[in-house]
Amino acid sequence: MAEEDSVRALSCPACGGTIALRAAGYTVTLACEYCGTLIDATDPAARIITRYNEMQASLAIPLGTRGTLRGVEWEAIGWLQRSDGWAIWDEYLLFNPYVGYRWLIAQNGQWSLGTMLTAAPQRDGPDRVVAGRRFTPFYSVTTARVTRVAGEFYWRVKPGEEVRASDYVRPGFMLSLEQDDRENSWTISELLTGREIRAAFDVDPPPVWIPGMTPLAHQPSPYARRIKGWWPIAALSFVALLVLLTLFGRTMQPQMFSLSVTPDGPTVSQTFGPIVLPLGKQAMTVEAMTPGVEQGWVDIDVAFVNRKTQDSYDAYALNEHYSGRDSDGYWSEGARSQTLKVASLPAGTYDLVVDAQAHHWGSSGNWTFDASSSTYKTEGQPPIEVNLTVARGARFTSNFWLAVLMILLPPLFMLVLHILFENARLAQKDGSPADADDWLRGMEAP
Amino acid sequence: MQLVTCPTCGAEVAFRSSALPVRVCDYCRTLVVRYNQGAQGMGEAGVLPFDISPIQIGTEGRCFDQNFQIIGRVRWAWDDGAWNEWLMLLADGSHAWLGEAMGQFMALREVELTGSLAQVIRRLMNDTPVKPGESGNIAGQSYEVADIRTVCCIGCEGELPFTAPIGWEALSVDFRNRDGRCASFQKDRHGPSLYVGHHVNLASLQPRNLRPLPGWSLPAYG
Repeated sequence: MAEEDSVRALSCPACGGTIALRAAGYTVTLACEYCGTLIDATDPAARIITRYNEMQASLAIPLGTRGTLRGVEWEAIGWLQRSDGWAIWDEYLLFNPYVGYRWLIAQNGQWSLGTMLTAAPQRDGPDRVVAGRRFTPFYSVTTARVTRVAGEFYWRVKPGEEVRASDYVRPGFMLSLEQDDRENSWTISELLTGREIRAAFDVDPPPVWIPGMTPLAHQPSPYARRIKGWWPIAALSFVALLVLLTLFGRTMQPQMFSLSVTPDGPTVSQTFGPIVLPLGKQAMTVEAMTPGVEQGWVDIDVAFVNRKTQDSYDAYALNEHYSGRDSDGYWSEGARSQTLKVASLPAGTYDLVVDAQAHHWGSSGNWTFDASSSTYKTEGQPPIEVNLTVARGARFTSNFWLAVLMILLPPLFMLVLHILFENARLAQKDGSPADADDWLRGMEAP
Repeated sequence: MQLVTCPTCGAEVAFRSSALPVRVCDYCRTLVVRYNQGAQGMGEAGVLPFDISPIQIGTEGRCFDQNFQIIGRVRWAWDDGAWNEWLMLLADGSHAWLGEAMGQFMALREVELTGSLAQVIRRLMNDTPVKPGESGNIAGQSYEVADIRTVCCIGCEGELPFTAPIGWEALSVDFRNRDGRCASFQKDRHGPSLYVGHHVNLASLQPRNLRPLPGWSLPAYG
């Protein structure tokens, strides 16, 4: 007696094979699993609709397979392949007698779970709203045509059957309207993670997107999530960087030296020391100040010379200051102080060798012709004091910015991939071209 | 409960609802119509084809804020499919329908076709064709047409408010709105009728005494 089991057996009128009817009462069309013949399940004599002699052994989910998805056990009872002339996708009909039907839609190796809606989506401008979730138009009316079919369905499906389909998307979800002359039906499909679909139906894992692949219309950019995930790491790295700078970037044990140079006078060379550097490697900061320089400049060469090895570590400063008065009033330019940094001095005892020469530039003062250099030189200018402050340690701003760049590099790289992904996704959009709104919505979490 | 004797086979036929005139004899499938205390045979109801609906006569639960019990069923077919209309006897003695199609359920109660009717309903009453997606107001709510089908009764069981002979044809139009409300318009040779309600799922009905289906575990509700 058929009532004792949920599965009713039929004999295929074409090949005589025994086929199971799994959703009796709902199922209208049944394809013989042996010879592929389509059978009319509503006819007690199991009439042949069409012969479909292609074996369906290559299905990713063999019909009759059960799997638990989101806490509900489903049986795959039907499979059909559809095409809109451009893309081809597979749809598996899932059935549980106590819960109803769901669709598993497979395209480009990605799987979505489709649920038919009982409420009509609300219209809002070009968008549609379902339970507070906004969907934007993506594909305008296309014709989806059934190309191949196997298994059981709750309507009389046959190859060649066509529906008009329109699709709306939000990241991770697609809202589809399928229309024919008799019926309008709305379905929401949600993109499943590889882990979810594999746990349920043991299919091949969805491919990871690489540039050049076409994403699904509702596929969320994997990079949007990664960029967002990077921000806490970037913030932590930035704080760590600031801590390191404060701890190790301080200057220590300042030593002050000074000398004076006469403008347009001879180069003054002077050696100061000793400067004892105890650490294996250290940076040195030399602050060179010439508070008295006016209408002229001072060239300051400094060199740390290791007393033992005579290795020399050099730096150079140019301090200058000019000022005057013109139709706009008082003006001045130049800097009277410079901070020099010398990196990576090995431990040892050093002398600081300073060569300084001052020059005067201007129309004021007394000038004499110097025959040896064939130039005019100023006379009677007061000597200029050069103050040098030498300290261990240095803040290297360039290093700081380099570190910041390193922190920003991964998200920038991911941003480029995200843009490539979204560009490939939005290129498929029908109707009005993708606008800023579409791009912003692409950043939203599913 | 009222007990009458089947005029065809003599078996005892029980009417659970005092308001319903028709009952299918469980033994010989005669449509038994009662007049006052007597009963009369009105032809034979079709043998229902095997299906695996989770509902059965005797399933209980809650709907329209009342307890209900399933006491009857009509099975309808259209060109490309079939569905069940289960009759609910509500605690207050009235009845309502639980439509079951494609694994989805609609709880519906009949409303009177009077007063100011939407244009789409008036056109359906005048046999003017309508299209899916057309909208109109029914009982103060805006609905759109979801599907339009010519349907045919292929069988019935239990108690019914009308005789449902095999081959009885009707036009059936389903409406839905954006909050999950639904409506159904039916027109046959006796005239039009309108039902209004909402979509439900099995869990929300808190069902008891569902039909056990071998190979499937019965979900625990509530």
